[in-house]
Amino acid sequence: MKQTFLPLLLLALMLAWASSPALTHAEDWPDPFAMEFEPVEVTPVEPVSVTLDNGMTLFLLEDRSLPLIEGTAYIRAGANHEPEERIGLAQLTALLSRDGGAGDRSPEEVDRQLEYLAASVEMSASEPFATAGFSSLEHNVDEVLEVLADILRRPAFDARRMEIARGRLLESIRRRNDQPLQLAVREFIARVSEGHPSGRYSSIETMNAIEAADIREFHERFYRPNNIVMALSGDFNAEEMADRIEEYFGCWEARPWDAPELPPFDEFPEPVVYHVQRDLAQSIIFVGHPAVTFDDPDYIRLDVLNRILGGAGDNRLFEEVRTRRGYAYAVGSQVTQGFEYPGIFFAYSVSRVDKTAEVLELMRREIKQIVQEPVSEAELDRNRRAIVNRAAFRYASAKAVADRSALVNFLGVDPDYYARHMEIIEGLTIDELLDTAQKHLRPEDAVILVVGNEELFDRDLTEFGPVEAVELD
Amino acid sequence: MMKRLMTCWLLVVLLLTVPIPALGHELLDRIESFTLDNGLRVLMLPEDFAPVVHFHLMFDVGGIDEEPGLGGIAHMVEHMAFKGTETIGTRDFETEEALLQELEIAADQYFAALEEDDEGAIAEAEQRFMSLREELQELATPDVLHQLFDQFGGVGMNAYTGYDRTAYFVSLPSGRQELWLRVYADILDNAVFRYFYEEVDVVKEERRQRNEDEPTGYLREHFLREAFEVHPYGRPLIGSMEEISNYRYGPAREFWDQHYQPNRAVLIMIGDIDPEADRALVEKYFGVLESEPRHERPIPAEPPQQEQRRVTVEYEAEPEIMVGFHKPTYPHRDAYVLDVIRSLLGTGRTSRLHARMVIEEEKALAISVSSSFPGLRDPNLLVFHGRSRHPHKPEDLKQLLFEEIAKLQQEPVDPWELEKVVNQAQASFIRNLASPSGLAGQLATYELFLDGYENILDYPDIIASITPEEIQEAANAYLTKENSVVGILYTQGDHGGAEQ
Repeated sequence: MKQTFLPLLLLALMLAWASSPALTHAEDWPDPFAMEFEPVEVTPVEPVSVTLDNGMTLFLLEDRSLPLIEGTAYIRAGANHEPEERIGLAQLTALLSRDGGAGDRSPEEVDRQLEYLAASVEMSASEPFATAGFSSLEHNVDEVLEVLADILRRPAFDARRMEIARGRLLESIRRRNDQPLQLAVREFIARVSEGHPSGRYSSIETMNAIEAADIREFHERFYRPNNIVMALSGDFNAEEMADRIEEYFGCWEARPWDAPELPPFDEFPEPVVYHVQRDLAQSIIFVGHPAVTFDDPDYIRLDVLNRILGGAGDNRLFEEVRTRRGYAYAVGSQVTQGFEYPGIFFAYSVSRVDKTAEVLELMRREIKQIVQEPVSEAELDRNRRAIVNRAAFRYASAKAVADRSALVNFLGVDPDYYARHMEIIEGLTIDELLDTAQKHLRPEDAVILVVGNEELFDRDLTEFGPVEAVELD
Repeated sequence: MMKRLMTCWLLVVLLLTVPIPALGHELLDRIESFTLDNGLRVLMLPEDFAPVVHFHLMFDVGGIDEEPGLGGIAHMVEHMAFKGTETIGTRDFETEEALLQELEIAADQYFAALEEDDEGAIAEAEQRFMSLREELQELATPDVLHQLFDQFGGVGMNAYTGYDRTAYFVSLPSGRQELWLRVYADILDNAVFRYFYEEVDVVKEERRQRNEDEPTGYLREHFLREAFEVHPYGRPLIGSMEEISNYRYGPAREFWDQHYQPNRAVLIMIGDIDPEADRALVEKYFGVLESEPRHERPIPAEPPQQEQRRVTVEYEAEPEIMVGFHKPTYPHRDAYVLDVIRSLLGTGRTSRLHARMVIEEEKALAISVSSSFPGLRDPNLLVFHGRSRHPHKPEDLKQLLFEEIAKLQQEPVDPWELEKVVNQAQASFIRNLASPSGLAGQLATYELFLDGYENILDYPDIIASITPEEIQEAANAYLTKENSVVGILYTQGDHGGAEQ
């Protein structure tokens, strides 16, 4: 029966193909892979750096193309410094500084003033630091800077706004398992960084333990001008802008502070397979472990390895898991920059639940392969060219340049870091990459986290190591 | 009377201090625009901020152009446009072409066997189908476009498919314009749909990730289905799982050939370009392409809604709610009035809904209001989205929403609020100019759907011309219970029988 249909089908198909454009212009066009282009000349733009008498450091970059002024203040007031029993304190302090009134202004007055001027000031806190970002039209910048200065120097911490901010953070905690990817990232980082402040997460208890006095104390201790590096970019004269900042922030007194010591980071967390049972249409897999700090020259080599494995536009994990097998839409790997403590290397996949073990095996196979065999010269060459060519984008936005310069200074990164980075890239060999992979990647001793419905898994996770069920709160 | 005069004075002062007209005209002066014989529109905007060029190719084709049963095919062919051409991404196109034809025959047999549910036939057909796919993989370069653009320094290479439009974009270091033009002209001319059935599986995973395992995505799909009974805005943009599972090469190719023509597109290049030399390159590569006559498919209009529609879903997540109101689209003046209403209700901490729900009554974690949802080619929705704060319920937010709407209907809006919205529209215009990709998307949208890119300048002025009376009228005309659609996601097992 099916046989008789075949010629008809064939004919129909041939017609379908024939209806595609018959003429191929591209035969006369150059092979895009063989195209050669002049190297792009990049003119570095450096912000002006000014340190006020009170220790506040500014990076100012003029860009007169639009009547806009933007900035980011980096503040040494991150969550790594909050006490164990009050996790969430840094975040609540940052949010409430913005929302709790500032100087003589009530919370409503701050909001009304900024929004009428179509300006914004937003604050948040991550593990290593807090930030305050602002954006203003040029002609309103004095009013906005005045508000920003009050927010940072003289936050009012309105009691009712504190309860609103706390209530919203508690609601976010209630909702933090709703999105499986967010849940997986959190549980994975908590396991890889176990015992270190960077692996802690707030809970209803720690959030409720925070009192108004804790916030005032945290602010008093960490929000100091000598603890702040600020980037400014846009439609101003750098010298005049530095004078304005001096005017708004200059009388804020410096106070010496002792950077609290962070506890040691355990670079070898237990290689356990953690499983979070959830009735989902897919499973989410993370495999990884701590790697190196940013100032280790191997970080740059690991970054190239990571591009080849799962970071570049085309990479091995993408090809094997997604393109060839169609098992996932999102798959790849990353190696994060660690500043005071090591960054984390990890591979991830959001993929078919009935192929969970197969995908995990593929991920481990690809990591193993990059540890056991040198990458090809072609892979290294492509990725080296990608990194060198991308240099054109380093100065594509004044805001990005100013923010980067401020952050480099804030984190104590050697200003020549990028130049050294590029030197290492230029001279990189496949043997060096193999050495780096063997020294730092541990496919057999990785922390594995799987979120998904084990009833639908293709095989038992125990084949990857001892399995521990994670109970969510 | 006095108050009114005061308002005008304030507005005039603001308009004078925000240099929109000068900036806007300077922008238009710098844009070089031309149309090729095949209908491709090209906009070039030289910018000297850095040695980079942003490319943005947008088609006026999207989900609403799909035939019933082929839901998501626009998105599927967007993925296929990354698989190369007859000269890019193949080791031997002649052999590959023959095998691709064989693959379709094998696919026919496999799908027929599945239909007949004949186990023996399925196994046999599957074996042939899979072995041909393996053979074809040996002839292809996987992820070829990413590999190509990455090594030449490409950044942010991606594409999106909406209900109305499809766009492909990337930024490259300058001097590589010929690379992009040569590759994308070739894709329009000779795209080869490699890895088709592998990619069907990828799209199934994308659907699971975005629409099934994501609570807001899950609610959105059900909400739109309820909101649009006839118009394709009611179908999931990515397609249903059944539709995706049945994708075949033939209909996908037909959709591509029918729609992705030069006369349906606008190409935007922003950055370190040389308009004269680059125009010659555009003509060299895109100029040789031919356009098919525009394929017209009537899209059914959504009949006016007579009474409130409601949909509820249960999910393993905390509750959320969407409330939508049917409304016209641009250039209908009411669409602009409703943009002002969107800002009054939901933009910023001083917006009425944030102030009431999040701050005053502490019933919401967060709220947002969007207009032109889920597309702008046809009449669409103004949509409120909110996440309630325990123990408050989504219905509490709905009640507050309607109370705030009643205020808008009954009382003229405070001049301060209106001035704030106008100031924000003007500032947004300026901020958009700072982002090449954002600006490119806007210029392309105006060129394709709003009667020409020049009209981008009019938006802040139109917003500034809207009166309190118009706002009241629009609130009364559109923000009514009968015209509303309510979608609520309840926590599983905690079903809201209250919503009756």
